[in-house]
Amino acid sequence: MKKRVPLIICMFLGLAMIVQFFIPHSISAQFYDHTTRWYIAIVGFAWVLGIGSIIDHHTTRIRRKKESWYFSYVTLFGLAAMATLGIGWGIQRGSLFMTFWTYIVLPLGASMYAILAFYMASAAYRAFRARTKEATILLVAAFVVMLGMVPFGYYITPRLPEFAEWLLSVPNTAAKRGIIFGVAFGSVSTALKIILGIERSWLGGGAK
Amino acid sequence: MKLLESLTKIPRRIIFLTIALAVAIPLVIPIGIPVNVMPQSKRLFDAVESLSSDSKPVLISCDFDPQSLPELYPMLLAVMRQCFSKDVKVILMALWPQGTGMVEMGLAELSQEFEKEYGVDYAFLGYKFGVAAVLLGMGENIKGVFPVDYYGTPLDSLQLMKPTRNYNDISLIVTFSTGDPGWRQWLLFAQSRYGARLGVGVTAVSAADVYPYVETGQVTGLLAGMKGASEYETLVQRKGYAEGIFRASQGMDAQSLGHLLIMIFIILGNVGYFYTKRTK
Repeated sequence: MKKRVPLIICMFLGLAMIVQFFIPHSISAQFYDHTTRWYIAIVGFAWVLGIGSIIDHHTTRIRRKKESWYFSYVTLFGLAAMATLGIGWGIQRGSLFMTFWTYIVLPLGASMYAILAFYMASAAYRAFRARTKEATILLVAAFVVMLGMVPFGYYITPRLPEFAEWLLSVPNTAAKRGIIFGVAFGSVSTALKIILGIERSWLGGGAK
Repeated sequence: MKLLESLTKIPRRIIFLTIALAVAIPLVIPIGIPVNVMPQSKRLFDAVESLSSDSKPVLISCDFDPQSLPELYPMLLAVMRQCFSKDVKVILMALWPQGTGMVEMGLAELSQEFEKEYGVDYAFLGYKFGVAAVLLGMGENIKGVFPVDYYGTPLDSLQLMKPTRNYNDISLIVTFSTGDPGWRQWLLFAQSRYGARLGVGVTAVSAADVYPYVETGQVTGLLAGMKGASEYETLVQRKGYAEGIFRASQGMDAQSLGHLLIMIFIILGNVGYFYTKRTK
């Protein structure tokens, strides 16, 4: 019973959503409108689950004194402080919440990403070696795209950005389309397996 | 010949230091390398340019956080400058919680340049969780998904939102996107299902993923990374919608030197590699 009811709901709604997609009738549109509202309401609960999970995870870390456990205090304090400020005094422009966001969250986030430039430079220097024919093709293509993507490339020769554009539009697109088709067919088959009850791991009890 | 051999073992600290200098110097002393405009950036610019004050509003979605600020935030400002200069109405929203902060920052910055009235010239819907449901729901009824705006005002009370029911009442959707949820969801749910016109601004690393859809015509125009942002700034500047040196254009100097330096390091590494290989 615990498994059969969710399977029936999943099959009914899955098939109903597929059928309604192809029926442009007002009843079908209403059903669709109604289910998307239900969906918004249901996914809202994921927030509760997410916040509960983060609190549980970090309190456990503190309790068990795991490695770098004291950083969990920072996470919990940040969560509590921003939630209190946002709920208590609003999140509009000029609020304390926005001030904290602008002067703490924003520069920290931007700095974290900026550090990547240094690691990428170091990794590119070490990894980009023309060891094989394939690696050489990759190296040349990367060079052309890197140069074509900055104004310098245009001043070396105006053909360089055009060639970079061609690389992205033709060989890149051809490869990407192959991948997209593969992913799409995989998604359709997985969705059908779930709707028809063949794939049941989402119930939490494995394939059986 | 030890020098050639040592080219394969340049210490990480030297790489970090030279990259830091190459990036920092142009930010302090701008070089002002002229920017060449690529066709896909021009296509997005032209799409906005074809609109007027009588057109249906443009929907801008800020689907990024501070980590992508250097690449995507200048795009947001440039597109909004163009819209505000042409009196095109703008509706803003976010699929990322931190995107709301980006919108607020942008509005604060642009309020010094343009005297636009909230609810009449622009509106801010805010953020809503559940991307698929949100985008599909907006295709039927925007007010059903966002009954109130970011500030808690009912959408029905905003003049701009009264005639705006769904994607049919939007002239162009522009998403500035750094990952999921982002341009892919707008393409799947708004463009493919409802036929909405979609323009995309992404970080440079994501640009290759969008190209197939530019080729099919599903994406009206594409801004790729900081280069795309600086191209858009250049177009906005050429039209006289804004003056001065802009963020992305200044950043391009730093990025140009950074790219050049990385390429020099790669060449040096390969010279050392081939020399070592030959001598062994």
